[in-house]
Amino acid sequence: MPTLKIDGVEVTVPAQTTIIEAAERVGIEIPRYCYHPGLSVVGQCRMCQVEVERMPKLAIACNTPVADGMVVSTRSPKVEKARRAVLEFYLLNHPLDCPICDKGGECPLQDYTLTYGPGESRSVEEKIQRVKHKVLGPHIVFDAERCILCTRCVRFCHEMPKTGELGVFSRGDQSEINLFPGKVLDNAYSGNVIDLCPVGALTSRQYRFQSRPWDLVRHTESVCPLCSNGCNVVLDVRHRQRGEELLRIRPRENQAVNRWWMCDEGRFTFTSLHDPARLRVPTWCENGRRAEMGYDDLLLRAARAIRRVVEAHGPEAVGCIASSRQTNEELFLVRRFFREFLGTPHLDFRVRSVQFQASDASEDGILRRTDKTANTRGARDLDIRPGPGGLDVAGMIAAASEGRMKALFVFEEDLVRAFPDRPLRQALGRLDLLVASSMFSTETTALAHAVLPALGFAEKEGSFTNFQGRVQKIHRALTPHVASQSLPEALRDLAVDLGRDLGGIEPEQVWAAIGERPGAYQGIAWKDIGDLGLLPEES
Amino acid sequence: MAFEKILTRYTNIPNYTGTIDEYIAHGGYQALPKALRELQPADLIETVKRSGLRGRGGAGFPCGVKWGFIPKDSPKAKYLVCNCDESEPGTFKDRMLIEEEPHQLIEGLIISSYAIGCRLAFIYCRGEFVYGAQVLERALREAYGRGFLGRNILGSGFDLDVHVHRGAGAYICGEETGLLESLEGKRGQPRMKPPFPAISGLYRSPTVVNNVETLSNIPHIVLRGAEWFASIGPPKSAGPRLFSVSGHVERPGNYELPMSITLRELIFDHAGGIPNGRRLKAVIPGGSSAPVLTEQHLDVPMDFESLAAAGSMGGSGGVIVMNDTVCMVRVGEIVSRFYHHESCGQCTQCREGTAWLHKVLRRIEHGQGRKEDLDVLLDMCDNMKGKTICVLSDAAAMPIESYLKHFREEFEIHIRGRACPFEGKGAF
Amino acid sequence: MISDETKKRLDELVKRYPEKRSALIPILHDVQAEVGYLSPEAIAWVAAYLTLSPADVMSVASFYDMLHLEPVGKHMIYVCHNLTCSLLGAERLIRHLENRLGIRMGETTPDGLISLKRMECLASCGTAPAIQIDGVFYERVTPQTLDELLEKLRNGRLQGSRT
Repeated sequence: MPTLKIDGVEVTVPAQTTIIEAAERVGIEIPRYCYHPGLSVVGQCRMCQVEVERMPKLAIACNTPVADGMVVSTRSPKVEKARRAVLEFYLLNHPLDCPICDKGGECPLQDYTLTYGPGESRSVEEKIQRVKHKVLGPHIVFDAERCILCTRCVRFCHEMPKTGELGVFSRGDQSEINLFPGKVLDNAYSGNVIDLCPVGALTSRQYRFQSRPWDLVRHTESVCPLCSNGCNVVLDVRHRQRGEELLRIRPRENQAVNRWWMCDEGRFTFTSLHDPARLRVPTWCENGRRAEMGYDDLLLRAARAIRRVVEAHGPEAVGCIASSRQTNEELFLVRRFFREFLGTPHLDFRVRSVQFQASDASEDGILRRTDKTANTRGARDLDIRPGPGGLDVAGMIAAASEGRMKALFVFEEDLVRAFPDRPLRQALGRLDLLVASSMFSTETTALAHAVLPALGFAEKEGSFTNFQGRVQKIHRALTPHVASQSLPEALRDLAVDLGRDLGGIEPEQVWAAIGERPGAYQGIAWKDIGDLGLLPEES
Repeated sequence: MAFEKILTRYTNIPNYTGTIDEYIAHGGYQALPKALRELQPADLIETVKRSGLRGRGGAGFPCGVKWGFIPKDSPKAKYLVCNCDESEPGTFKDRMLIEEEPHQLIEGLIISSYAIGCRLAFIYCRGEFVYGAQVLERALREAYGRGFLGRNILGSGFDLDVHVHRGAGAYICGEETGLLESLEGKRGQPRMKPPFPAISGLYRSPTVVNNVETLSNIPHIVLRGAEWFASIGPPKSAGPRLFSVSGHVERPGNYELPMSITLRELIFDHAGGIPNGRRLKAVIPGGSSAPVLTEQHLDVPMDFESLAAAGSMGGSGGVIVMNDTVCMVRVGEIVSRFYHHESCGQCTQCREGTAWLHKVLRRIEHGQGRKEDLDVLLDMCDNMKGKTICVLSDAAAMPIESYLKHFREEFEIHIRGRACPFEGKGAF
Repeated sequence: MISDETKKRLDELVKRYPEKRSALIPILHDVQAEVGYLSPEAIAWVAAYLTLSPADVMSVASFYDMLHLEPVGKHMIYVCHNLTCSLLGAERLIRHLENRLGIRMGETTPDGLISLKRMECLASCGTAPAIQIDGVFYERVTPQTLDELLEKLRNGRLQGSRT
């Protein structure tokens, strides 16, 4: 392995590593625009030029492999002049609309200009005027004046979704990124061009003019809940004083899961978290009248109903349908409550046909997967399945409709919609007790005696296990509504009402219990799960 | 001793049209059987190396050395591409060679393909050479008809197909990797090097790109020997060279001469000097990318080394002569307009720099110059040189630097006087 | 949109190349000659023919001066305005052409007959100033010869070359 010196720092890296990558290893960021580790190297922006001893010209760090004994300078006067020149050239035609640009404050052109650029312009020529606001597709709007032609977006569309919607048209300083006439930028991954764009040329229609980056004070690491891939994300939340709101989801690099990318569905489908129609307060329905009710009263009533059922019909008259939308921690507590405390074998989570297969499948060979929930693997690993003599979901529905099942808990699933062919209304209508948790009113909650508001993934602390078996943490980015409790809190209190102690419900405490059990997660503690998740077989 | 014309031996014969019969009647296609029957590819490469033949496209790279870079043991197909994208302003010799003596090129191309192990070769003609491409197509058909192309050429077991491929109007496709991109059906944007085409060129296979004039020399080297060729002209710039002389001379045209010829001899003896009793003001000796020379350089020989020593370059052999009515700011405007128009746009310095150069020069020519402009221009040129994927950026900067070096006073007069002092405001 | 005859010719052309994309520029020349210019429909046709994205083909077509993405006249006059031609009167020719035709360079006569385009060096410096009409060189052009050429062009007596 070659050893080289970058700005006096020695580094040993595998052969074929480029200077830009080697520099990164020792914490030296070489400025760049066209280079992106996830895309082909084109060497066009010339921003990453460095001086290499015994090379007559400056070398581009993105495309120059290291060599043993190489001496690289990223800050020599020659480099600084070249860099300043590149920035001066860029700014010849770049508009000075930073104050109204979405990228302002997190813009590499702004940042590098500040660090390396010329203080003022020597140009008196008029800037080229171009289209300022072209809607490229459902998610993206384009400002051609701001574009610096790094072509990251073009390469992304060619190389990742392989849809090739974008091209560079014309040549020289007339060059412009554009779509073929009549086409739109509408592939399943189009939003990534927003992150890739090093200037404010490609911006999100959803986020446009919503916030200044410096008002997004919280950048919470999390995992996208919309399919089993578990793409790592960052949730950008606006400062409470300006109204706490999740305004943006960005992918977070995880080479083992999503590399640098995420799909548009995951990126843009989060507004439901702030939907005023969300269920916030528990309700109880008796004699056809539904009323809001505090947790204490509601859980007491539910506990009484459970006790009655168990006393009259035994624990086999109670069933629970959990959800692969729930976190591992929620699922573990659900299992403990129903299987261990109540002693019912009727526990399942499989309401989707894909969950009956050994594994789901890749939807497109890229990231998206056919199981549109986050935690099927976790539910499997935690054995959220019928015990000996236990019923699966269909069995529980049948038992309810035949009057054998008396009390049923349904968490975060709309059973009525999941089984359109079955007489759900009739079945659920016969229950003595139906408890449903949900973020929104559904046909199932409409039939429930007790409805508990469910928290969204951005309001939970916990973990999901993606299809690979990788356990990945999600963190709370948003404060839950003051009237809403988490499911672990509700289960803990319900257990108390039934005279049982569920134990600690914080993730560390739950994992202490999970780790003790034989199974996929034996020996794992919460702190073992790093920022990039944990693959148990590798640990 | 009078110089014996080699490449243009027959083109001045009345009614000579360059058909295969005429070419053969004058001794053409004799090198081909000799090469195929008597020489091994390695011998040919060695011969061309010894001949000292340097590329006639602009860079002057030794041809045999370039061939030698082709890996012998690569399992990949090898390609020879003839660069007939002649676009360097002031240069018009390749067009003449293909229109008037196409078989000389084709014979050279076949021998060269044999030397590097190529079985499929292309002639990349610039799009505007509609007629030249037709002549080549016809000549290729003739060569196929005589068994000089196709399967088992002259019973040697060597197969070769050659196709003419027309570009569509882009100077940058003369840059060899831009040409390969264009030949692959893409924008003609030069590639990063390394890898060089000899390792990864057309279709990522080992490829040699040679200029028309370069390849046209090959049959003569094969027939008459490396030593004969090397004895023509200065040792490091061996062989005949076609100089395209244009502009303010009595007899513009292509002149085949040894590179020991001086600018003075070329302009005044061969091209007849400056018409209308005017004086020579400036001469661009190697296409518009070459820095300008003046009267004081007239005794510089036209070989690669001497021109480099004089601060210019041999380039493509395009010699543009300007008399004393010519405004050098206007020349700068025209030359920078060209590079502005032709920059492919991928590298920042070139895309933005060529445009900026042009705008500033246009402003100065139109009386809007500022005194700080000249130093900004020079610094801009410095920022454009040696920092991009290909040398178009350098080619745009170097001439402007040279105009400022030799004619700074003239720029200052434009700025001070807020106008072009030349008749017709320099709008020649 | 593309005739069977042209299509057959393109099928043959593609076979010349180890990778069929190589035929793109020759195909664009051919399709342009047939359609008149490279309309979005023509580009889309070529893209489908070579299984490329239309944006990709457009990106290539827009790179080259001789490929026209907007409608152009039946006849195309290229005028070299590079250094040698300028030294020897190219701008005079341009002014003359503009006056005669009542249009500017880059424009097309209202009857759709003639388009004018400034071109960079056409490799005709030894016989400057030079122009090309429909792919054919005319050299050492003067305003007088230009008038004769325009006259012939209008009478359909100027043989062009299929470009």
